[in-house]
Amino acid sequence: MRRFLSSPSAVVGTTLLVLVLFAALFGPLIAPYDPQEFHPLARLQGPSASYWLGTDQFGRDLLSRILSGAPATIAFGVFSTTIGVVVGSLIGVIAGVSSGWVDSTIMRILDGLLAVPDLLFTLLIVTVLGGGMEHALLAVAVAFTPGMARIARSAVLSVRTRDYVRAAVARGESGLYIVGREVLPNALSPIVVEATIRVSFAIMIGATLGFLGLGAQPPSTEWGLMVSEARQFMFRNPWCVAIPGLSIATAALGFNLFGDALRDALDPRRSH
Amino acid sequence: MSAALTSAEAKAASKEKPALAVHKYSLSYRTEAGLIAALRNIDLTIAKGETVGLVGESGSGKSSMAWSIMRYLPPNAVEQGGAIRLAGEEILDYTPHEMATIRGSRVPMVFQDPSTSLNPTIRLGEQIAEVLIRHRGLTKAEAYAEAEAALARTGITHPKEMLQRYPHEASGGEKQRVVIATAFACEPELIIFDEPTTALDILTARQILDLFTRLREETNVSALYISHDLGLVSRVVDRVAVIHKGVIVENGSVDEVFRHPKADYTRQLIGAVPDPERWIGVEAPAVPQTLIRLTNAGVHYGGPSLLQRIFQPEEAGKVGFWGARNVSLDIRKGELLGVVGESGSGKSTIAKVLAGLQDFEGTLEVDGRTIGSRKAIDRAYRRRVQIVFQHPDASLNPRQKIGTIIGRPLKLYQIVPRRQVKIRVGQLLEMVRLPAAYAKRYPHQLSGGEKQRVAIARAFAAEPELVICDEVTAALDVSVQAAVAELLVKLQRDTGTACLFITHDLNLIRQLAHRIAVMRHGVLVDFFDRRDARADDRNPYTKALLDAVPVQSSSAAA
Repeated sequence: MRRFLSSPSAVVGTTLLVLVLFAALFGPLIAPYDPQEFHPLARLQGPSASYWLGTDQFGRDLLSRILSGAPATIAFGVFSTTIGVVVGSLIGVIAGVSSGWVDSTIMRILDGLLAVPDLLFTLLIVTVLGGGMEHALLAVAVAFTPGMARIARSAVLSVRTRDYVRAAVARGESGLYIVGREVLPNALSPIVVEATIRVSFAIMIGATLGFLGLGAQPPSTEWGLMVSEARQFMFRNPWCVAIPGLSIATAALGFNLFGDALRDALDPRRSH
Repeated sequence: MSAALTSAEAKAASKEKPALAVHKYSLSYRTEAGLIAALRNIDLTIAKGETVGLVGESGSGKSSMAWSIMRYLPPNAVEQGGAIRLAGEEILDYTPHEMATIRGSRVPMVFQDPSTSLNPTIRLGEQIAEVLIRHRGLTKAEAYAEAEAALARTGITHPKEMLQRYPHEASGGEKQRVVIATAFACEPELIIFDEPTTALDILTARQILDLFTRLREETNVSALYISHDLGLVSRVVDRVAVIHKGVIVENGSVDEVFRHPKADYTRQLIGAVPDPERWIGVEAPAVPQTLIRLTNAGVHYGGPSLLQRIFQPEEAGKVGFWGARNVSLDIRKGELLGVVGESGSGKSTIAKVLAGLQDFEGTLEVDGRTIGSRKAIDRAYRRRVQIVFQHPDASLNPRQKIGTIIGRPLKLYQIVPRRQVKIRVGQLLEMVRLPAAYAKRYPHQLSGGEKQRVAIARAFAAEPELVICDEVTAALDVSVQAAVAELLVKLQRDTGTACLFITHDLNLIRQLAHRIAVMRHGVLVDFFDRRDARADDRNPYTKALLDAVPVQSSSAAA
């Protein structure tokens, strides 16, 4: 742990992550105002003693809106990544373990999907399924699956030829035991690291979808949607765009730096 | 040997300044756990024209010494006083720039593995010429002519063609000759050899050693020869320094060190060098009974695909290569069968076939039952045949405790009731001479030798009839090697298990094996009883192998 925190990026990443997770867990409880409450007399104001981060076009308190939007935004990133990682890893492990034509078939299909950029792929799925938070979540998960499958497969392949796995094969262990007890525990760390980094991408894609009106719908306090709604008033009060934008950046940066540090701590050889 | 010694001494006396003098030199590494001493008060002198062997096990500091002389230490190295003098000049005071002119020209170094010490993207000729241009200021044409002459001196038959080749187009022996030619090219004062033959097979190693001896006589260069192999060092050096945990414990002429070792550690090292005349194996069973018979076994790597077999049946035989072909051998109950061969000879392929890890052609016979393919191997067979791998670091799952690792075969084959697994694990650990408390540890908390004992305990936990040992001692230090070999013999005596011992160390196998199989290029070339090792009808290849191994020069005295 001490070694983990010895690099500055790990300290920054962990601090940001703690901050963001705190907001996600307790944000709605500590918000000073109701996030949907209009204050007609205090519209588009900058930070002040009563409204710490200023207000938007309806006079809604930005701090309260950010805090109440934190759970939705973070949960979106975490859940979409989790689904993508679990499904992707499953496919990757199956491909890596079975090898031969099963592996080739799965990987060629995934290679085709990988050629499409994540955001474009997500947009495609959302367009087919229709907008909304749940569909956006599913779309991000699906978009992440091929990449995760490839990482899981390469992790499995590198472990599969180790002597302890061959020893298990020579002992006559069942396939399930070999995969579950010998291969997976040793292939897990690259998957976990990649997943942590991907949460930040998921948050950004979620915000992008919200901004484009394909994700969360008003009056949700999802951060991407907040940026989108405040866009017209950007020049009268830059705070109402900057605050949710900075929040997105903070959350993404936190997960990203933490994931990088995690990778360096788990595998010192890959640090650069 | 003694004649060479006196001449070296005479030379040392005639010139005051030795080629290399290390005086009270100490070196530590800064780590998370504080300063760790790598070298302590080292005194080492190499006279002009003399070769000194520095012998020690892994972690003894012998490589740190080499890098100290080269002035190429990692950033966390801390030098704690002393002096290193090259022909009387204090090189500790030199700037990195000054050192750059010394390295390569005055003090070149020959590394262990020629395939990694040569740049794979540059032609061999350019790699030699570069040194000559850099250090002797030759023009390109002169350098190439000189490089050709240097290669010719190392006994390469077509030096001109060799200059145009890339490293991957040359064999391991040829590459090491190129490295040695480069080292000798600038008429150096001192050459550092860091285990130059360890990565080569026995026959090539022998040739490289002969080459080294010849070049040394021709050029009268001084050399520091670093190795872990006392038997090998004794053949090429004038004096030996034995290093143990950063301290030189013994320093003297080869004869002296072998005949009258002063330090306990040296005695232990000499005792651990395998001596083919000293039999330590178990008595062979009086009536030979066949346990497993392998008939016409073959393994085809990269074989033809289904389409090729259908459309080009006549081409199919030429695709890929045979890891092993038409190998027939039998393993008897309770015996130790040695399989020797160079790397790539197919000896490990046979181990994989027997352990059910490799698809094969031909048949495997056990108890009158015939097995025709890998898929037909059942769990009962797998319990009876266990395998121990070469690298103990890789063969134990790093995320499982030792107790779990050894307990697994007990549970899998239901050797003992579930409740008694813990007790049995303790007994097995004691059987391989490890404390029972090790069951709670993880593999990375153990040393290499201890890990190999755990792997052996796991194999014997299944109460097998055959244990395949695939180069189990190759990754271990000499003294640990001897202990592991003795442990195997003890276990064999206690359990009556047969053992297939695969190795490239002929001295070791002649101490252990009842019968020896010799493999080459995937074919079994010789199969004989150990008593017939020197018989006249041995295959010429077997004879060459037996002649190539360095036997301790004064084994009778030790």
